[in-house]
Amino acid sequence: MSATTVSRPDATPPVPAHRVERALVGAEARRMLRNPVPWVCLALTTWMTWTVQPEPGEWPGSSYEGMMPAVAPLLLGISIAVAVPFHRARHDVSPAAPVPEVTRTRARLVAALPFVVVAAAHAAFVAWRERDLGGLWLGMEPGRTTEALHSGAELSQYVALALVAIALGAAVGRRTSRLVAVVPVLFVLWFVASTYWLFGAPGVTPFSVIQVQPVHLAVGPATADPLSFPSDWLLVGAPHTDGGWERQWVSESLAWWHDVWLLGLAALLLGAAWPRRGRGTLLAAGAVLAVAGVTAQVWVIP
Amino acid sequence: MSGPSTLVLARAAVPTARAVRWAPGASLAILLLAVAALSRSTQRPADIVLAIAAASLAAAVVSGLHDPAAALLSAVPVSAMQRRMLRLALLGVPALTVWWLLEALTTATLSGPGPLLALTACGVAVALWAPPRRAVLLGASTPVALFVAHQAVPAGTVSDVVARWQSDPWWVLAGAILICVAGRHR
Repeated sequence: MSATTVSRPDATPPVPAHRVERALVGAEARRMLRNPVPWVCLALTTWMTWTVQPEPGEWPGSSYEGMMPAVAPLLLGISIAVAVPFHRARHDVSPAAPVPEVTRTRARLVAALPFVVVAAAHAAFVAWRERDLGGLWLGMEPGRTTEALHSGAELSQYVALALVAIALGAAVGRRTSRLVAVVPVLFVLWFVASTYWLFGAPGVTPFSVIQVQPVHLAVGPATADPLSFPSDWLLVGAPHTDGGWERQWVSESLAWWHDVWLLGLAALLLGAAWPRRGRGTLLAAGAVLAVAGVTAQVWVIP
Repeated sequence: MSGPSTLVLARAAVPTARAVRWAPGASLAILLLAVAALSRSTQRPADIVLAIAAASLAAAVVSGLHDPAAALLSAVPVSAMQRRMLRLALLGVPALTVWWLLEALTTATLSGPGPLLALTACGVAVALWAPPRRAVLLGASTPVALFVAHQAVPAGTVSDVVARWQSDPWWVLAGAILICVAGRHR
């Protein structure tokens, strides 16, 4: 009898890579979706959106402008939920994992996509709510409407913003040494972005993250006859301005190009979270999209 | 405070300052100062900017309580509360400096460091009493949660109570300090 043993050939074939990735996506998605923060933030956003409604005596366009920034808590929640798994990638055991870092990063990003669906559902909710209210108010007499609705281009911003929130969460989570420091950083970024009147000037609007239309364009002094302006212009004048007449300008083109800028921003942020391999491509694509988006917005604004 | 612990604290100040992660706080300060400068240049209302600054600076200060070496340091003759106070002092001074700069840059009606101190004290109180595993995370989230709740709650009694850190910051600070004192042995 020989003491030598022969190992049994491994009968189980190797698991295909796509099945491994799918399993990772499932596990990461379950973890992210179980995090209560984005759902609490979604409830806050829904509540804040619900409380926006036209009121007599409001600043002309206040309700129209108030719809978009209400999404800030949801974006903060998405970023926090995504930052947690990306922060886990900083642990020392991660480099020894049997799955390459690129695959794990991709799996986490795919797992975060349900949040994009949530943002799209919120856009649908906003569209329904505005119709339920009979439209929002913009402008003052003689250039005024009480039936203003956000266009599809403006509502598409919610989806693009969700992508930015995911990318921002990934970047901050991956690059911040302590998870607890993520909270103030993400809070400031999203709530400053939602302070829309800081970014209302035509020169600053193209660089805003949460873009709130209308853009205010000076069209004449206080002494100008508002009836001399084109009849389709939405106008605002004293006492709501510094004295002159301003046009409240809403543009679908501006909103679409703003989405391009946001996609560029998302790619740039993803570049910060992505492993070394492939990072350059993301940064280059992001830079091209961001520059194209900003340039086109500047060109579109009259 | 006894003599030996004072000496230990004094000697611990420099290594503790080295152990603190300053980069997130510094980024936060730069961003807030840039936003304050933007609000000044566009002559837009800055009250909300200062409120955001108070909540974020308070969250940053409380997040500095996170000490990865807490278990190792539990053997030294200085209580956990004294080490927390050292970290708060190290982080609080730059936070107050940033706040002062923000106030100088903007023309907001919200003045004085009361809101910042009140929110920080609330965060520290939560960090002391919360379950240890997530104590600092919950504490750092408290100023943010108070700000967001104030934004979300419509005007009324609840809103007035939530906004006490803005309207009566010194009373909130006093109450939070009492809670901290009650939890000093935790």
